[in-house]
Amino acid sequence: MAPLQKRALYSFVIGLILTIALIVVFVAQGDITAFERDPNLRLIMYAVLIGVPLIYLILVNLTLRKPAQLDERDRLIIERSSRAQWLAVIFTLVVWTIALTEIYRGQGQVPIAFLKLIFTSTLIISTLAHSLGILVGYWEMNRNE
Amino acid sequence: MSRIKNRIRRLRFDHNEMTQEELASKAGCTRQTIIALEQNKYVPSVELAFGVAKAFGVPLEEVFKYEDSQKG
Repeated sequence: MAPLQKRALYSFVIGLILTIALIVVFVAQGDITAFERDPNLRLIMYAVLIGVPLIYLILVNLTLRKPAQLDERDRLIIERSSRAQWLAVIFTLVVWTIALTEIYRGQGQVPIAFLKLIFTSTLIISTLAHSLGILVGYWEMNRNE
Repeated sequence: MSRIKNRIRRLRFDHNEMTQEELASKAGCTRQTIIALEQNKYVPSVELAFGVAKAFGVPLEEVFKYEDSQKG
């Protein structure tokens, strides 16, 4: 397994665990306003918002800094996965926009708690899509014969 | 399927059974890329193709060849 492939797999698994954890917390707390009411939950959210991009940057930088571990084939896969990442981010924002518009159309305003949720979900989906794009890229390249 | 084929595995054997790791180090790529090249699952850039040829000390056309589909 290529070093980049390994890191993508780790990122994907971490992202998946984080997503499941957030969904569990959200379901356990009952509704979206719980994020605003509970200061501990808010702290966890802020830690996720700052921690995920930091961990992601460190992982990517660690890989990119070692030229012996990354060559033109890996860079091609990263480039392709970035397109998948971009599409996933746009799709997530489209889904949020349509859903919130339809749900809160009558009230004319959206609860502020959604801001954090939109950002967190976009961040997680972006990381997952990038990792998945890399894994699919390797799989496709190994399949092409 | 790519029309560009290579003789990397044969050349490694001819060069005192050079390991994939050694070749990767000399050509400036990862061992996984050498594996993909040997299995014809990846077509290298011109730069890497020259790097592989240089690692064996042979001209480029001794390592890579273009198979014309019109033939046979």
